[in-house]
Amino acid sequence: MELDVNGTRHEVTVEPRRALADVLREDLGLTGTHLGCEHGVCGTCTVLLDGEPVRSCLVLAVQATGHEVRTVEGLADDDPLPGVFAEHHALQCGFCTPGFLMLLRGALDEDPTVVDDDDRLDALLASNLCRCTGYEGIRNAARAAGTRPD
Amino acid sequence: MRGDDRLTRGRGRYTADLRVDGCLEAAFVRSPVPHADLLGVDTTTARTLPGVAAILTADDLTDVGDVPTMFGTDDSPPWRPLATDRVRHEGEAVAVVIADDRYRAEDAAAAVRLDLHRRPGHAAPGRADRLYPDHDDLALEKEFGPPVADTTWQEAHVVIDSRYRQQLLAPTSLEARAILVEPGSPLTVHCSHQFPHGLRTGIAGALGLAEDDVRVIVPDAGGAFGSKSPTYPEYLAVVAAARDLGRPVRWVEDRTEALTASSRGRGQDQHVRIAADVDGRILAIDLQVDADIGAHPLGAALPGQTALAASEAYAVPEVHATVRSWFTTTAPTYAYRGAGRPEAAYAVERAVDELAAELGLDPAELRRRNLVRDFPYDTPTGRRYDSGDYAACLDRCLELLEPDRWRGERERPTGVGIACYVERSGGEPGILEEYGSVTVEPAGFTGRVGTSSTGQPHRTVFAQLVADRLGVPADVVDLVEGDTGEVPEGHGTFASRSTQMGGAALAGAADALIDEARLQAAARWGLSSGDVAWDKGVLRAGTRELPVAELAPLHAEHRFTSPPAFPYGSYGVVVEVDPDLGAVTLLRLVAVDDYGTVLDHTATHGQTLGSIAQGLGQVLTEGVVLDDEGATVMPDGLLDYLLPTAAEMPRDLRVDETAVPAPDNPLGVKGAGEAGCIGVPPAVVNAVADAIRPLGGDPSRLRMPLTPSVVWEAMQP
Ligand code: FES
Ligand code: FES
Repeated sequence: MELDVNGTRHEVTVEPRRALADVLREDLGLTGTHLGCEHGVCGTCTVLLDGEPVRSCLVLAVQATGHEVRTVEGLADDDPLPGVFAEHHALQCGFCTPGFLMLLRGALDEDPTVVDDDDRLDALLASNLCRCTGYEGIRNAARAAGTRPD
Repeated sequence: MRGDDRLTRGRGRYTADLRVDGCLEAAFVRSPVPHADLLGVDTTTARTLPGVAAILTADDLTDVGDVPTMFGTDDSPPWRPLATDRVRHEGEAVAVVIADDRYRAEDAAAAVRLDLHRRPGHAAPGRADRLYPDHDDLALEKEFGPPVADTTWQEAHVVIDSRYRQQLLAPTSLEARAILVEPGSPLTVHCSHQFPHGLRTGIAGALGLAEDDVRVIVPDAGGAFGSKSPTYPEYLAVVAAARDLGRPVRWVEDRTEALTASSRGRGQDQHVRIAADVDGRILAIDLQVDADIGAHPLGAALPGQTALAASEAYAVPEVHATVRSWFTTTAPTYAYRGAGRPEAAYAVERAVDELAAELGLDPAELRRRNLVRDFPYDTPTGRRYDSGDYAACLDRCLELLEPDRWRGERERPTGVGIACYVERSGGEPGILEEYGSVTVEPAGFTGRVGTSSTGQPHRTVFAQLVADRLGVPADVVDLVEGDTGEVPEGHGTFASRSTQMGGAALAGAADALIDEARLQAAARWGLSSGDVAWDKGVLRAGTRELPVAELAPLHAEHRFTSPPAFPYGSYGVVVEVDPDLGAVTLLRLVAVDDYGTVLDHTATHGQTLGSIAQGLGQVLTEGVVLDDEGATVMPDGLLDYLLPTAAEMPRDLRVDETAVPAPDNPLGVKGAGEAGCIGVPPAVVNAVADAIRPLGGDPSRLRMPLTPSVVWEAMQP
């Protein structure tokens, strides 16, 4: 099958049962997408599928064919999110970070004001888990990313 | 922080990200039941499945030694890497399948047939039917401090007698356990681990290798929180498989395994008695802990930490604690952030709050009357508190909490709760030492230290520390840790010890390097070292000068030892309880901790917030659910074991510090990793108790986690 990842077409041969996350990580070497639970709860595996955040542990690779997949490695060089995450100490171990970055990239692209309202922001961030930071830095980074021009 | 630019661009290298040619994948066959005789393991079908390279059972590991316990007993029953004739907890590893792909390894693992004859299991601490034929179910019993005199109880104005439960918690670093083993000489082990030198010793010991024949490297690690310091049975099985096959093998744990088969924290039934006089002077504390330690004595002795801490922040003449550690048919109980101290703070601080309610005294005033004020202070159960101003810390907490603001008519039941704690950081005798070295290389300086980051910014903080010590910019200092091939010895990262012990070791090494450089320069110049000054990496004497790089290679080491330090803090919480549903909302949370001198406020702030979140997890949402026999009842994984999300974090969060330097540490530093886990749970439960008491509710029915149903039931008159 063909897979379009970060703007590049890849020819891959995969079993129908293989999760998109495993194809990204093991077959394409894009190990920035992490696996924290493999059952759809933690969000560390979040990638964008046609711009929408999805959990790549729950998407079969075959389902992604014909769609555009974007991973953390595909964030634009001038994307402000990685920089504001570092600046606001939104990470400690960093394992959850790619998932939060992709969650926010998808949400901000759809509606940049989502980070301006505390309730909406918490509802959004509550889709993913972080065990290290207590989320304060992630909240602050998200707000900062919203107020900056892309 | 250093490395953040990699981690935010997806360029981290966690164990599961490593690519090694020809690497095989391991999947474990595990016991589906808590307790059974293991009569047979049938691998016939599984071996025929595609991609399978090998299947190992206990019979294949007879030349591998026992799994080392970390805080075991003097007489621990043997613990085999793969079960032999009995399984003693759900998830216990029985066989390991090695295949060319994880899916196929799991297929084959599912095709292995176990012949099991069930035995009764028991999840609760207490005597059962002998989990080990030659060992009592009571793995360890220990007493701390002299018993409280009978007359003290008889003559006291009031005696509080309470029982609490510390539920089992799953540490749940988002990266579960992971190991990749490359056979050869040395055998190279990549592992997400807190204690690489301990893992090296564990593997070398079990495989009959010299320590130098094993190299442990910790790549980026996705959290640990105490759970990643042992030499787990799975690691020995994977090492044996790599050795036998002569191929690299990796094992990446999945979340179901992490929740059923990996170690857990807490797990104590507590009985606390407190005697006080009419003014609220505490006369005696008696704490009895019955700990459910799981099926193997990995952490059997850890509840002793709870007993040692039984005085908490109070000068109490009589304190006595007993610990009984019981085998249970569930995964081992081990260290989890705080490891024994959160349990003690909970027991004492809940009971002290009950005492205040009984006496009609303000809980803060009651505490103030009893706080330790003179240092050093020797507690009856065997601690020597080094320093502090506990009262100032409590006062600062109250200032930020503004308890009076929340009194009076309010729309919903509202409660204010506080808790004080004292903890021990740095570790216990045996690990109260650390290795540090600093080397001059032509391009700059390299610090090496025996700690191991699993998410803490050691590279940033330690490089800065060395740079400040040497008077050079931080960007010429490289910091190496987490690799036994690079750092000769070390005790790892736990017990909030890294900056306190590792930082001090590096500071000592930097000082030694300066001395050595002055000596060598003096020798060159025919002077005495007293005539040579160190000036930001340049040696000077009169008009002579010599950049230290010209003395390269130059190397200095330091082994730092010291008694433990005693961080402390006061936590305050305001809660609102939904009268119809029992749901608890935090309106404010105040944390005032004393970590001694703080080297990097951003780093400690991060530790404080993270441990607060984990404390909120324990008190509000988390708990391993077991049936009576010890089988986990969490079919939906992290939908059943609920970690706090951003939505659970209070918005009004006030974090502050006092800073009384640690007298036994050259940097004045105390540990900072575990405070929130210790202070938050009792403060929250005390606040909920305060909210439901006026409604006629019964705080003794509150137990963690405070789910809406628990709170709702406790608030019914
Ligand atoms: S790994 Fe996909 S949601 Fe956790
Ligand atoms: S930074 Fe470790 S899980 Fe978020």
